[in-house]
Amino acid sequence: MLFRAHYERVAQIIARVVRDRARSEDIAVEVFLKLWRNYKAQGQNVEGWLYRVAVRAALDELRRQARRGHYERMVAWVCARPTPATPEDIHSVSQKQEKVRSVLSALEPRQAQFLLLRSHDFTYQEVASILNLNPASIGTLVSRAQESFRKEYIKRYGQE
Amino acid sequence: MDKNSSVRDNAWVDEHLATLSPSDTWNPDVSAGLQRLRELHVRGNSFSKRWIFASMGAVVACLCLMVLPSPKVLAHRCLECSVAVWQSLLPSAPALTDIKSPSGRSLAPDFNLKDANGRDVKLTDLKGKVVLVNFWTTWCEGCQVEIPWFIEFQKEYEARGLVVIGISMDDDGWKSVRPWLKEKKVNYPIVIGNEGLGKQYGLDGMPLTALVDREGRIADVHPGLVDKAATQQKIRALLQESFNDATN
Repeated sequence: MLFRAHYERVAQIIARVVRDRARSEDIAVEVFLKLWRNYKAQGQNVEGWLYRVAVRAALDELRRQARRGHYERMVAWVCARPTPATPEDIHSVSQKQEKVRSVLSALEPRQAQFLLLRSHDFTYQEVASILNLNPASIGTLVSRAQESFRKEYIKRYGQE
Repeated sequence: MDKNSSVRDNAWVDEHLATLSPSDTWNPDVSAGLQRLRELHVRGNSFSKRWIFASMGAVVACLCLMVLPSPKVLAHRCLECSVAVWQSLLPSAPALTDIKSPSGRSLAPDFNLKDANGRDVKLTDLKGKVVLVNFWTTWCEGCQVEIPWFIEFQKEYEARGLVVIGISMDDDGWKSVRPWLKEKKVNYPIVIGNEGLGKQYGLDGMPLTALVDREGRIADVHPGLVDKAATQQKIRALLQESFNDATN
């Protein structure tokens, strides 16, 4: 069954950018629910559709969190009350991870999706099929996406 | 950019992206996810059922609204109610002190206008009777509140010599007033007034109610919505004055 075969991987790929694992699982379930309701998506290349929607949902959530964080900082600034760090905050190890996430959320969605899939051990062919890309042009896309990632990262945090 | 640096950059990006990999192995609970998916699916179906219920409710509400009186009528009833409550809360005004003493009254401006049936309504013809002259319009809410009271007064005091005359100040005259008359059962003559007459009675805003004594003199002028009880007392007082008394 499709759910059993792909749920773990979908949840894991979402968890790459969404810090909270419970939230990642929620999003993964929502993706499957979408698939369930959307008959068109159940045609050919269901897996491609699944991962495409999953990375898009994950990046949307990332952007939402970034926005929320922005508002929360604004509110905290107005209220001048330090918000206590949640266990997740403490647990979420590396600052670097957060930086990579914030850069991803700022990138063009297609490039961010691309990089995210690539980071999750999908081959170029798989990525191309998931994102409905022409396998021949994948090389250019890789370098372009990597270039924008690097530029955005350096712009934000300098060369590290 | 030479090939080496490009490869180096790629490695740099890959290295950064690799930080996203979880530090520990994490296996999401598939069965819990599946259960949640089923729950959500069922809830989604019940959502659509809810929509059906909501639309049925809306249709019923629309029907109710169509059956119930129109908002204007409803508003009018509310206004009537609140006026009644307000007037019952206020201490009733000392009515007798309000009307002018016979010696201080001046002659009421006369008018000769036709009512809806084409009959003449002339104030001086009504000497010997107490006349309540009410300036009103079909669009004035306050007027609509007090007109039923005047209908009551007319019914109650007609035998003792009261005549109510409604002078409509509607700009388009009978065009508005005729349909209005059809709707309400007014038991006293309604005529169409004019600006000059309104001015003579000191008409500034709607409504205005003047009480004319048996001798044809203005005993009281009340701009705005009248106080029902006070007006009734004034009418009674004027009815008690005899025609002869007024001439003295």
